[in-house]
Amino acid sequence: MSEVDPQPTAAVVAEMLTKRYGSLTAIENLSFSVAPGEIVGFLGPNGAGKSTTMRILAGTMAGTSGRASIWGESVALNPAAAKSHMAYMPENNPLPDDLRVEEYLTLRARLKDVESSLVAERVAKVMDDCDLTRRAKGRLIGQLSKGFRQRVGIADALLGEPKVVILDEPTIGLDPHQILGIRDLIRSLRGKMAVLISSHILHEVEQVCDKVVIINRGKLVAQGRTDDLRRELFPNAVFNLITQATAAELKVLVSLHEPAASVESVDTVDTQWNRIKVTLPAHSPLRETLASSMIAAGMSLREIAEEHYGLEDIFLAATRRATTEGGRI
Amino acid sequence: MRHFRTLLAHELRSALFSWNTWAAAGLFLTLMGALHWFAVLECSRAPQAWTPVEATFRLFWLPLLCVLPLLTMRSFADERKQGTLSALLTTPASPAAIVWAKFLSAWLTWALFWISFTLFPLLVNLRLGASGDQAIYDSATLLGGLCFILVSGLLHVSIGILCSCITRSATLAALLTFITLLALTAMGGAMESLPIESWAWLGWLREPAAHLRTFGHLQDFAAGILDSRPLVLYVTGTLLSLGLAVLAVEGQE
Repeated sequence: MSEVDPQPTAAVVAEMLTKRYGSLTAIENLSFSVAPGEIVGFLGPNGAGKSTTMRILAGTMAGTSGRASIWGESVALNPAAAKSHMAYMPENNPLPDDLRVEEYLTLRARLKDVESSLVAERVAKVMDDCDLTRRAKGRLIGQLSKGFRQRVGIADALLGEPKVVILDEPTIGLDPHQILGIRDLIRSLRGKMAVLISSHILHEVEQVCDKVVIINRGKLVAQGRTDDLRRELFPNAVFNLITQATAAELKVLVSLHEPAASVESVDTVDTQWNRIKVTLPAHSPLRETLASSMIAAGMSLREIAEEHYGLEDIFLAATRRATTEGGRI
Repeated sequence: MRHFRTLLAHELRSALFSWNTWAAAGLFLTLMGALHWFAVLECSRAPQAWTPVEATFRLFWLPLLCVLPLLTMRSFADERKQGTLSALLTTPASPAAIVWAKFLSAWLTWALFWISFTLFPLLVNLRLGASGDQAIYDSATLLGGLCFILVSGLLHVSIGILCSCITRSATLAALLTFITLLALTAMGGAMESLPIESWAWLGWLREPAAHLRTFGHLQDFAAGILDSRPLVLYVTGTLLSLGLAVLAVEGQE
């Protein structure tokens, strides 16, 4: 009778994780979680402690204090069980140069408890998924380009069909085509595996991840869905307009609907047109009616655009806030 | 010890395809072939108190110090340097299984080297045929000497594995192995030559020195004397070295 693992509420849990190297604190009281099937981006500047956290979660480094668990199993107390649910691809993706790709993946499959009768099938599948079959199957790993080595690392991570995949900078060194391929591959894991992924390419993380965790100097500075963080870190909606109305005229109109709004003249475009910035509270109803209100008031409007805050802005705002306030969310 | 067999098969395969193993094998067979050849020549010139096989085994410390470090130096040091040991530790394979697989692979290779050496006396015997002196092919000494090499090899190889565990540099691992094996081999003889009897404060060393007489063990084995004390010494020394190696690997986690 096969035993079925009950699905825990969180696939990855980091609870008050701390790692110290002598007097240097790499991470401090770091807490976050990843739900089953969720893809979470793990962001932070260089030296923030991302790789240290990932290594502790993967069981290749012991934390100084705190608790880390994978699929309900403590990484420190029950490492074998935790590792059986998890795959980890470290940042530099170390691979043995003297093995062929297929041989390496076969060995890793056996070490990851893939059933003997399924090893060949599973190896063939991950090689297909990572586009290795045609160009790299029989080649020595030492002869592969950086991009193909990364693919081998990702194929290895997916081999055991783990519940949790931890990828440290999986797209580093890849060309744009390869990045697209890896992004699609990671996206295809949504709902099947919990994925914790660190990357410096924020645009890529935004496209792939359901949630982000941002750390700075070893401390958590923000976590949540990007839309929620956007609302939290940028509580105002900013519109850039090009209109014939002056900032003063517009201020009168806007204040009628939204007293908390601010209007600021930026510069003049041509001779009759002005570029004006209007800032409204995020939940102001005027967000939806600004353009129609201006037209109804007889103001000519050539352009109106709401500023969009990407993950890069969120990341910068969160790390800046943590630096200036010394606080965390 | 999960995945021990998978890891051992991988290690044996890696050893088979490694230039390092073939270089070590070449060096070993050249060295042992030359030593045995010179011993046969000496015996052919004048009667000797020893047989060529006995004389060659007495020089076991030469391949031990020159060849064995080459076999074990890369086992962990290279993996640590490349980071592949960390990758291996992310799998459910235990550090003990990894250490034992590498140890057994290196020991089997070392044993294979010495088993290959037995071909030399056999070839000399075949060449000389019925005209040869029967002492040329000294099968009892050959078997006893081989047993000594295999048993003491457990400790010697485990020391090489331990030295490779504690550094990222294969060269440094080889050097550490060389020094440790030199000290271990020479210690018994050196202590016997010290005037321990006249130094009261060194009296406590008398008994350990008696146990560490490596060349005495070789003589006993070659003479067919089966003493349990060296067996216990080599087996417990092996377990201690491998235990420390497992701790060193776990310490990297």
